[in-house]
Amino acid sequence: MRFLALLRKELRESLPWMLLAAIIFLAIGGFVLRAQAYLGQPSWYYSGLSPGTVVDTYRLTHFSPLRMTGSWLLVTSIGLGLALGVRHFWMPLFTRTWPFLIHRSANRPTILWAKLAAAIISFIIPVGVVWVALYRYSCRPEIFETLPTKRVFIEGWLFILLGLVAYLGTALAGLSSARWYTTKILGLAFATIVICMTIFQWRLGWAFAVLVVGVVVLLSQIIDAFLNREF
Amino acid sequence: MTETVLETEGLTKYYGSTLAVDHLVLKIPQGCICGFVGRNGAGKTTAIKLMLGLLRPTAGSSRLLGCDSAALTPAIRQRIGYVTEGHRLFRWMSIAELEKFQRSFFPKQWDHKFFADMIEYFNLPKKRKIKHLSIGERAQVSLALALAPNPELLIMDDPTLGLDAAIRRQFLEGMIELIMRQGRTVLFSSHILGDVERVSDRIVVIDKGVLRANCSLEEFRTAVKKVTLSFPDSPPADVDIEGLLHCRRSEKELELILIGPADEHIAEWAQRNGAEKYHIVKMNLEDQFIEYTAPPNHRRLFQWEEK
Repeated sequence: MRFLALLRKELRESLPWMLLAAIIFLAIGGFVLRAQAYLGQPSWYYSGLSPGTVVDTYRLTHFSPLRMTGSWLLVTSIGLGLALGVRHFWMPLFTRTWPFLIHRSANRPTILWAKLAAAIISFIIPVGVVWVALYRYSCRPEIFETLPTKRVFIEGWLFILLGLVAYLGTALAGLSSARWYTTKILGLAFATIVICMTIFQWRLGWAFAVLVVGVVVLLSQIIDAFLNREF
Repeated sequence: MTETVLETEGLTKYYGSTLAVDHLVLKIPQGCICGFVGRNGAGKTTAIKLMLGLLRPTAGSSRLLGCDSAALTPAIRQRIGYVTEGHRLFRWMSIAELEKFQRSFFPKQWDHKFFADMIEYFNLPKKRKIKHLSIGERAQVSLALALAPNPELLIMDDPTLGLDAAIRRQFLEGMIELIMRQGRTVLFSSHILGDVERVSDRIVVIDKGVLRANCSLEEFRTAVKKVTLSFPDSPPADVDIEGLLHCRRSEKELELILIGPADEHIAEWAQRNGAEKYHIVKMNLEDQFIEYTAPPNHRRLFQWEEK
């Protein structure tokens, strides 16, 4: 009951950012896919090639229009992560509502898990659902000549999880009581490194491994900081 | 024997090199209304946050309802009401939403009727959002939220700060409502000594982090005295009266701030030192507090001398 009350509160505070992220990604992703369907993909790509040019088979089979929305998904996801991190862990500092939240008949881990659960839901519902919808749309052979592979779909979820890494980095920075120009930014710096290292992995397995390690490190730091922090 | 609900032992807190609370040793018995007074920056908020386990002490410890403040369990927190400084509540919630949220943490003890009555008494619309309330209205919501679970111990950090006289009175009446419930204990910090005088039966004075007084209000009122003495010539150079806190001298007069001596003792000292006449000035609590906590620079400014 207490956890649910806290979860409801956190979700309500996340709602504007969830809606904003969903609307932005749906609008941009939808626009990109519609534009590709209208232009007749992949004619736009091959129109610039001179006769006799050799094109690798990967481009012919894997370069689906859905890939073009990937970078937007990553930007939206990281943006949402930063916004939610600020909302959950920085705003209570600015509005001085931490003591009101902390002093109640719930222990600190419950309060923290409610925030983290709200963040996960806030990623899955707006960005995840839109991503699934765009994937399903781009899988229609009557509209698109090149259909997306499973890898493209999984890469999308990887990008969504990278948003969660940005969230955890922002949360850790918010919980640090150091000055902003000193160790306070370490959380964000570490999250940036994890995001870069994940993006630059070609093998999905390695990418997920880097991501999991990053999440575990950030999460353990957040738990420690939250349980011992002064409010 | 009266049970102690709040106890601190050498409670100390440093912020970097700044000493905020200095070896605070305090015991608050059950069933009293304790005014926690001190000047700005005296360490009241820090002390309260230390007691509630929101801050970690540099040294010492404190116990609330028999439980170490550093490890207050949800069950103990359920028995403690806390009104935060500035009445910081979730701005996007309406009063009704805030009640629903708060009630979730007190499933068995939440008194919905009491909350509704208080909100009605304060004439607040339940659907109004916190962000649209004035600070006085937020204070009223804050008090109703803290009182509705019927806490055994209510701790309030400067609850009347920024409130006008009428709302302050309403607020205090709300507080008295709790006090009337048997065995309840209230600790509230305040700058407004009139409020403390009106509702408290105990006073704790803190100055620069140091505990200066912890006694019944009546004891404090009786103990702190201001005496003016007139002399035919210059006043004696050495003022050796018992309980002297401050001494201010002019050409033929002495003004003494004393702690504790009986009126007869003052009369005897005045006679012994050749005073023409003496007068024990009647002070209200505010005057007593100001004289009692007057800082050294303040004394120099008005040519005060220390004993």
